[in-house]
Amino acid sequence: MADLKVDFGKFQLKNPVMTASGTFGYGLEYSQFYDISKLGAIMVKGIRSVPSDGNPTPRVAEVTGGMLNAIGLQGPGVEKFLHDEHYLPGVKKTGATVIVNIWGKTAEEYAEVAARLEAEAKNDITALEINISCPNVKAGGAAFGTDPKLAEQVISAVRNATALPLITKLSPNVTSIAEFARIAEACGSDSVSLINTLSAMAIDIETRRTKLANRTGGLSGPAVKPVAIRMVNEVYKAVKIPIIGKGGICNGADAVEFMIAGATAVAVGTANFVDPYVPLQVIDFINDYCDRHGMKSVSELTGSLLN
Amino acid sequence: MPNCTLISNERMHGQYFRAVFDAPEIATDATPGQFVHIRIDNRLDQMLRRPFSIHNALDGKLTIVYKVVGKGTQTFSELPAGSVCDILGPCGKGFSAPAGDVIPVAVCGGYGAAATFMLTRQSKNGGVLLLGARNEKDILLTQEYARAGFQVKVATDDGSMGIKGRVTDLFPELLKEYQGKKLFFYGCGPHPMLMALAKLLREKSLDGELSVDHIMCCGVGACFGCVVKVNDHAHPGEWMYARSCADGPVFKLADIYTE
Repeated sequence: MADLKVDFGKFQLKNPVMTASGTFGYGLEYSQFYDISKLGAIMVKGIRSVPSDGNPTPRVAEVTGGMLNAIGLQGPGVEKFLHDEHYLPGVKKTGATVIVNIWGKTAEEYAEVAARLEAEAKNDITALEINISCPNVKAGGAAFGTDPKLAEQVISAVRNATALPLITKLSPNVTSIAEFARIAEACGSDSVSLINTLSAMAIDIETRRTKLANRTGGLSGPAVKPVAIRMVNEVYKAVKIPIIGKGGICNGADAVEFMIAGATAVAVGTANFVDPYVPLQVIDFINDYCDRHGMKSVSELTGSLLN
Repeated sequence: MPNCTLISNERMHGQYFRAVFDAPEIATDATPGQFVHIRIDNRLDQMLRRPFSIHNALDGKLTIVYKVVGKGTQTFSELPAGSVCDILGPCGKGFSAPAGDVIPVAVCGGYGAAATFMLTRQSKNGGVLLLGARNEKDILLTQEYARAGFQVKVATDDGSMGIKGRVTDLFPELLKEYQGKKLFFYGCGPHPMLMALAKLLREKSLDGELSVDHIMCCGVGACFGCVVKVNDHAHPGEWMYARSCADGPVFKLADIYTE
């Protein structure tokens, strides 16, 4: 039995397996299947200052090796998230470790949400994940994650607004993801998570219309994994802060690959839709892998790439 | 999340199939209008689960009646008896059981009739199936409903079976025949049909529940992919999105938003 604890400096997790924001609801949706407190953490769906409707439908389309989505960050807003039993109060009763994904349409809004979460629930929240990479909303999201100056503004604003540990979720839709990781580190982010979905499009050839009402969406699933592995390795070489690797993880072997590339922890996303039990299988696989390879701690895996 | 063995998977006619699974856990809990979310195979071009209305759940067996509409259902229709499928369910909110002395009226389009069938077992007062479809080839399950004690009325667009017209065109005859009786309506079918039904029920001050859905992904309320517009009761006249997989697929008539 290897030591599965992972250290992010300002916080520790019982194991390196999380569930990615946007693929796990607010946690309770999956607590009907298993005890979600067994996970390293759950990253809940993006929260902003006010409720938001999200995009028109259809919002999802299946493609080879994964799917496209353009949900558009539908959500209850911070007030309801903090006080309604379907959200944070209910999830905390499960004993789960909660990381809250936050977004806004301006840097000030990001900061406002962060400050509010800290003021009202700092003991219930392990960290905040700053979403500067959603490709499916016009203002906010990717606009901040693909412009170095805007990224700096948002991350700094959140940093100044809260003492909670910060994770910056990076967009793969840039020329150099390492540049954005360096910005996050310089602005005081305690960690980076990558990758968000790849901007993509699918067309129904019979109707000659895009399969998503939003026209474009984010590609996720096993098709993106090699891209994500390359990016995690690039970022690992560029920054000192710990990395949460994600992008197409379907099983334990995929997760181990991310850790070898440089990730301290991983998050399961689209695979939750296929099989809700994947995150638990990943935890077991990592444990067995460490035993087989004589590793006493899972931290030995991080960045253990030999060439 | 049980792995269930396919007992049979047979073509009814045309593109319509009936699959029966040995699924005791799901069959025990299932109520009319709920669905199961089936992982059809491990192919990379169809990773996601497919939702199917529960047609029947009895004696440990789960029956679904489906139409081949795309590659997922095509693959599913080719699975032989003995195949094992990973099935999530029963999922979603189903129809409420007919209460007291009401007579349930299922108003369905095509294979939407699969989703309301279990109401026949819950009703103590019989019931009615109003079934509409493009033509007689898209009419199914009428004999099963009749055997279960439901009166069946059919409408087809081309008049090849029943009256020529829409399923809503069966209402004048129904309301005349059941004058003075307490009716409660259960709708399942294509979206435009359901919207027309919702408007008609409101016009006539009748009540019911409608099964409304959209392309699904997770099936458990996590991804917000399958949302449909429902009335936002806090802001009259406005709509909000609800998850058809978890908040529905069955919604009360009062919640159904019609443009």
